[in-house]
Amino acid sequence: MSGGRTRLLLALAALVVLAGCGSKRVAPAPPAPPKPTLVVLLPDPESRITGRAIVSNEFGSTELAAPRASSLATATAAPGAVTTMSEEEVARIFGAALAALPPAPRHFTLQFKFESDALTDASVAMIPAILAAVRAIQVPEVAVVGHTDTMGEAKANLALGLKRAMTVRNILVQAGLAPSTVDVSSHGEADLAVKTRDRTAEPRNRRVEITVR
Amino acid sequence: MSGVHRIGGVLAFVLATVSPVAAQQPEPAGHIKTVSGAAFVLRHNATISARPGDAIFASDILRTSAGGAVGVTLRDDTRISLGADSEVRIDRYVYAPGAGGLGMVLKFVRGVAVYVSGRIAKLAPDSIRLESPAAIIGVRGTTLAIRVEP
Repeated sequence: MSGGRTRLLLALAALVVLAGCGSKRVAPAPPAPPKPTLVVLLPDPESRITGRAIVSNEFGSTELAAPRASSLATATAAPGAVTTMSEEEVARIFGAALAALPPAPRHFTLQFKFESDALTDASVAMIPAILAAVRAIQVPEVAVVGHTDTMGEAKANLALGLKRAMTVRNILVQAGLAPSTVDVSSHGEADLAVKTRDRTAEPRNRRVEITVR
Repeated sequence: MSGVHRIGGVLAFVLATVSPVAAQQPEPAGHIKTVSGAAFVLRHNATISARPGDAIFASDILRTSAGGAVGVTLRDDTRISLGADSEVRIDRYVYAPGAGGLGMVLKFVRGVAVYVSGRIAKLAPDSIRLESPAAIIGVRGTTLAIRVEP
């Protein structure tokens, strides 16, 4: 009768609607392409010297070699042609990051009197400046690194460098530096200030280098 | 049965006390020096509020949200700073000139950052890799400003 047929039609209609819903499957989104990257070469904040950078991807590379030279790299072509960004634009885009850049680490080189554990007079005179540099930093770190020349064995020089570094560390702590701020290490003969051959006496290599960060 | 359990317990105790190497802390790559607003370090899936003086390690992610900024100085004097809504990852950091180990890989993920090279760039510039989504940057004694376009 008509009741039965209506129910059948309704059932068929429902099936069609459901089938329609089923076929509306959402295809997975394709992965987003890598974001473009803007690279700007800046002069060193303290020395004002400009270095060099090379921006490359699979399509090619571009060299940045002048202050505020910049290139925009995208994922689908070689890095863009170099343009010079204005100082205003640099400040606008990078101002907050530049303001957050920590101050440059300060370096001091102390030397010892010949065959002695005593600092030279010139080096003793540097101690107040070192302490002032430490006080200028909110949470300072002081790295004290001992060095030797190439006389003697490498392993012994590693130990000798450490002994020199400890001597300087003790002098600084005596002068008021908090011990917890100081890290002591040795580069032995592996980090020469003046390049020499092995087994060469060179007073300028017999030193302790202090970095205040 | 209980004897076996006791031996197991003793063994576990001995192993725990003779494996100090496993418990050794890795050396920091550097320290946070400046913080402004919302800045964080992500380490082993934990999010830590950044504070001046906090140690930073290889594999750490530096992240800022709106209005945040952070500056870090690494052990070789490399300096990195982030502006707002930014993210940089320290993928690799090795500074051991006495032992001949030098290398750094930074990944600029999002936002704006400034990079000032340090001693690793002077001693072994080819050991440094600055990665961004669309390009790799090689450095020679360089200060760079990098923005990953939104």
